[in-house]
Parts: sequence; C-alpha cells; structure tokens
Amino acid sequence: MEIHDAYTNMGTDEAILEAVRDGKAEPTIRFYRWKPSAVSIGTFQSMEKEVNTARCRELGVNYIRRITGGGAVYHDLDGEVTYSVIAPESFFPHGIRESYAFICDWIIAGLKTLGIEATFAPINDILVQGRKISGNAQTRKQGVLLQHGTVLYSTDVKRMFSLLNVSAEKISDKMIKSVEERVTSVSKYSGASIEETYEALLKGFTKGKEYKQGSLSGDEEVRASELARTVYSTDSWNFSR
Amino acid sequence: MEGFAEQKVPGGKMVSVKLVYGPKIRSVQILGDFFLHPEETLPRIEKALVGTSPRAKKDEISGKIAKVLAMNNAELIGVTPDAIAETIRMAVKK
Repeated sequence: MEIHDAYTNMGTDEAILEAVRDGKAEPTIRFYRWKPSAVSIGTFQSMEKEVNTARCRELGVNYIRRITGGGAVYHDLDGEVTYSVIAPESFFPHGIRESYAFICDWIIAGLKTLGIEATFAPINDILVQGRKISGNAQTRKQGVLLQHGTVLYSTDVKRMFSLLNVSAEKISDKMIKSVEERVTSVSKYSGASIEETYEALLKGFTKGKEYKQGSLSGDEEVRASELARTVYSTDSWNFSR
Repeated sequence: MEGFAEQKVPGGKMVSVKLVYGPKIRSVQILGDFFLHPEETLPRIEKALVGTSPRAKKDEISGKIAKVLAMNNAELIGVTPDAIAETIRMAVKK
C-alpha cells in the first residue's frame, strides 16, 4: 500500500488512466493512503462551499478536487484505505450502475475475509448493518474506466466535521450522533490492523484474477508528478467551482 | 441579480445552483455530489441555459438540459433534468 500526498495520489490515478489508454500499462489496481490527511471533493462540488479550507490549513490537511463525481471525503491517514481500479471499459459491465456493483463486490469480498458482512447500496455505497463503510466514484475517459473509493477503517466524526463546511448548528452533538449512526468502519467489527485491512481488500480485489504486484513505470511517475504540480495542487483546478 | 438554491433529490444526491440573472439567465453553475458521464457535459449544459428566462417553465428548462444530455450521449446519475430545473427556479424565487 502506497502513501502519498493528495496531489500525487490523484495525479497517479490519472497518469495510470492515460497509460492504460495508450496501451502502455496493464489494467491496474492501487491501494493507497494520504499523508498528510486530506479532504477530496467531487468534480462538480464547490471547494468554498464544501470545505473549511482555513481549518484544513491550520491542521495541515490537504484539500483537492477529484476528476470523479460524488461527494466530499475525509481521507484520514490512519482512518481509511483508498483504492483505485483502472482498466479498459470493456472489462466491466457497460452500464455505470452495474459497473459500480461489479467493482463494489470486490470490496464486499475483501470485507468478508475480515468476517464483515457488507452489502452494496446503489448508487455508489457499501453498507454494514445499514451504515456506510465505503463510498465510491467512477469516471470513464477515452475507453478507460477509473473507479476509486474509500474503505473506512476508523472514523473521527468530530474532526471530519471540523474540516467540512457544516454549519455550527449541524455540528451539535445530536448531528454527530446521527452521522455516527449512519457511518461505520472496519475497526468496529474487526481487530484487524489497517495493513491487515489492506491485505483483506487485496484478496477480495484479486480473487479469481491473474495478477502481479508491481510499481509505477518511470513514465507514469513522471506524468503523475507533472499532473500533481500543474493540475491537482493548483487553485485554478481545486477552486474551479 | 444573484440567486442560490439547493435540494436533496429524493432517493438521489444533492444539487445546488448558483445563478446570475436579469430578464435572462446570465450565468448558471450547477453543483453537487451527483455523477455525470462524460463530466465535460456539465459546462455544456450550463452554457445552453444562458439566455433562458429564469422564470421559464420547469419543462422548458429541463428540456434544454435533456437535449444537451442526448447530444453528448451523456448519463446523469443521482439527479434529474427536472430536479436541476426545479432548483434553478428555486434560486430565482429566493
């Protein structure tokens, strides 16, 4: 499992997408964490509206816009595992909703190896006992599908709320309780470490597939750094809405 | 004038609208946690709505959105053209 800053993480996903598109990379599954912790927002969201950027800067938390839709996610360094799946569209069901279900089944299989029974909740969530444990987002560009998502390992709802622009009224104890009732994490059901959670997810994602573990090509690394520098770390991208 | 409105689509996602308008819409920004494939379709929808009366009937606004979606072979998930049109009309009323 890799650990990078937000800009490198999102630059890497896009660099792999381009390499797969150009036939220079095999279909790729990545698992990664975020250091420093970060908030990512969906491509159609407003950074100013969704994220308390002043608070993020105070706490040294990155904030970034994704190329995928969906909502704001707090990627706590010790609180979640992020994955991405990047492969030709032809590998997946044609329908977007169906392809979410297809990939989310791999997460469900991974959680099952930890003894956690999870279910897919369309459009893009995975639930355990009715509570969200994973959110996922997908894009398709030039014949390549990229889906990335988060699997919550442990959640600090108070910290999450301090980074998102939720009105003070909504950060009342009652609201936090209500979110805690809607969100759950691996640590509530399993004694697995975050590394063991990654190992379990790796099993779920690779079950029945031929695969080899590898690293980025030199070209992918260069392109990821370039995208991190020229796109993902810039205000013109992150505050474009 | 400027307007803003947002709503949670029943069974779907959040959608909000930032509007600058006079007798016609001067600019519109559609925001939210919905999905749209391909993503590049959203600026085209926003552009297509410029010049529309902000008080146009919901069907007229949603018709323009649906037309851009069809022209781009695009799929909107978690929100509907009707819900976006409704949010635009809410932004005007406020």
